[in-house]
Amino acid sequence: MSKVVKRTNLPYTINLKSSGSWLKKNYIGWLFILIAAAGICLFYFYPMVQALLLSFQSGMGANLEYVGLDNYVRLFKDPTFIAALRNTFLYLLIQVPLMIILALFLSVLLNNATLKFKGFFRTAIFLPCVTSLVAYAVLFKYLFGENGLINQFLLNLSIISQPLNWLSDPLLAKIAIIIAITWRWTGYNMIFYLSALQNIDKSMYEAAEIDGASSLQKFFYITVPMLKPIILFTSIISTIGTLQIFDEIMNITNGGPGNATLSISMYIYNLSFEYSPDFGYAATVSYVIVILVVLLSLIQFKVAGDKK
Amino acid sequence: MMRFSQLRIWLLVVAVVTVLALAACSSDETSGGEAEPDKITAWAWDPHFNIAALEIAKESYGKDLELDVIENAQDDIVQKLNTGLSSGSMKGMPNIVLIEDQRAQGFLQSYPDAFFPIDEYFNLDDFAPYKLEPTSFDGKQYGLPFDTGVTGLYFRTDYFKEAGYTKEDLMNITWERYIEIGKDVKAKTGKDMMTLDPNDLGIIRVMIQSAGSWYMKEDGKTVNLVDNEPLRKAFENYKAMMEADFIKANSDWSQFLAAFNNGDVATVPSGNWITPSIEAEDSQAGKWAVAPIPKLDIEGSVNASNLGGSSFYVLNIPGKEKAAEFLGKTFGSNKEFYQDLVLEVGALGTYTPASDGEAYQTENEFFGGQSVTSDFSKWMEEIPSVNYGLHTYAIEDILVAEMQNYLKGKNLDDVLADAQAQAEAQLK
Repeated sequence: MSKVVKRTNLPYTINLKSSGSWLKKNYIGWLFILIAAAGICLFYFYPMVQALLLSFQSGMGANLEYVGLDNYVRLFKDPTFIAALRNTFLYLLIQVPLMIILALFLSVLLNNATLKFKGFFRTAIFLPCVTSLVAYAVLFKYLFGENGLINQFLLNLSIISQPLNWLSDPLLAKIAIIIAITWRWTGYNMIFYLSALQNIDKSMYEAAEIDGASSLQKFFYITVPMLKPIILFTSIISTIGTLQIFDEIMNITNGGPGNATLSISMYIYNLSFEYSPDFGYAATVSYVIVILVVLLSLIQFKVAGDKK
Repeated sequence: MMRFSQLRIWLLVVAVVTVLALAACSSDETSGGEAEPDKITAWAWDPHFNIAALEIAKESYGKDLELDVIENAQDDIVQKLNTGLSSGSMKGMPNIVLIEDQRAQGFLQSYPDAFFPIDEYFNLDDFAPYKLEPTSFDGKQYGLPFDTGVTGLYFRTDYFKEAGYTKEDLMNITWERYIEIGKDVKAKTGKDMMTLDPNDLGIIRVMIQSAGSWYMKEDGKTVNLVDNEPLRKAFENYKAMMEADFIKANSDWSQFLAAFNNGDVATVPSGNWITPSIEAEDSQAGKWAVAPIPKLDIEGSVNASNLGGSSFYVLNIPGKEKAAEFLGKTFGSNKEFYQDLVLEVGALGTYTPASDGEAYQTENEFFGGQSVTSDFSKWMEEIPSVNYGLHTYAIEDILVAEMQNYLKGKNLDDVLADAQAQAEAQLK
């Protein structure tokens, strides 16, 4: 196989005897990934393609027929969808930065070498993440109830004179949802930052101290740049999570009052199970989430300036 | 060349996997056992009500039948039916399923061949007429009408006495009069008149059905909001009640129950199925009574309406005849069975011959000796019949949002016109 040998720029020269022996050498490898690859295709790509096809169909229940791009046109004229989209973006724009900053702040505090009971605080802040989504959402519903703990607390401190209608006021309901998600997920993101902080070389801080840097300067000029990949990672994960938010909305406000807290996922659920089922249009709405996740992740990569 | 062969192998792998995947998916069993099963399964919700009723039916059914009653939350039943029926495979589906009346048309029309018509198994004339329209489709009867959601105005006799009203003052009144009385009661006793969840327009549905109207026209498809006089009146009443400041807001079922169990509200306008929950507070025994539900101040509105209620359906799978016969012999025609149902479960069916039975006349001490069951069954026969159509819940979500705008000061004409436009866009 002299032709092959000439191509020296290829990195895998050891495999290059012939395509046949290359196969022979690797078929065990192929065998190993075959099951996983088949699983991914069967349970991931196949449903994705089916959902895409479904998004071009419309009709009630089993009476689906192809309608071309009608569903996608309908999206732009559907006030409920637009309300859901607006709410979801509101959660995204307020909650994700809030949570990332809070998690960063907490992780730096907890990384302090002189802090006592570090283990206790870390556990306490991480603990919300191990609770089930539904269980914590139900708890928050009761906390924010008209005679719930939060109203009682505010009343006793004389901050408010009448109980607030947390869950039946459009603005307060959104705030309640944002507080709930932040409580649940801050600790989760904090763990990523904590582990990344362990990897920052102490000597950099020592050098900065010798140069007379304040702790604020150390934070902004050493900690944040060193954590940048992790910050990017957590913001993408959180963005994807927030776009798909469902459990909290379903259990705390059920989308109400009106459409004030409705999220895109909740709308998909309503279209499929709450109203006369239109799985075609529901699939179209779910593809909007896919498109948004891809777009937002690309933007985040660009903004963070990660060339790789 | 190396690259080429690598690519080729990848293509091969993808092709093999795709073929496998497609093969796995298309190998649906088309022969799905035609044999009659020995066991009949039924899905229903609420162990104290629907499940209990099925158990009593099983006992009263003379023949030996293996009936497996499976309890599911209503939401779960709706989901399972939707996913199961839309997949086209009837595997794992029950023989009998309970469906809420307002959802029934959606299922019957979405999955036309999935349900089994049961006209022949019972006499349609024996049932309250308002119950037949939502449970039938295309001239065929699919549902066996079960419980009624006939409404009444539950009220606290002690509070009303304190404010200077008797039961007579609440008989056959309009909602306008109700609001006047409510303001007075609030002023004299400090008690709120009723509790409402702003996300649930049940009270609006009660008002419009009392005038024989619904969110959709009789065909069940044409959205009927903008020129719907009863709906307009209902919206006005709703706003007047909110402004009268006698509504205690609740945001879920347990807060709803707490509002009257704690004695915070003077009335509960609701379906008769709320009776057990009202009776649950022993300390209030003798302090409650039930008046007919108020009506709208327009021609054609009556002091009878409906809220909720469900019916049994038979799925079109092996065992359907057995299941239909079981339903027909129990829920469909057994008068004695309905007496047991009232006594043991407190469930009021829509089978009219049962209402002159002994159990229906029982005086209820909790309600000061009122024959509550008999009153409810009288009102039940007056409920105007409406076609709930397909999209009750979709339209209601639109109305809930528009109601908030209306309460904030938006013009009612615009509110209804906007709601109509949204509903038409969404439901085309």
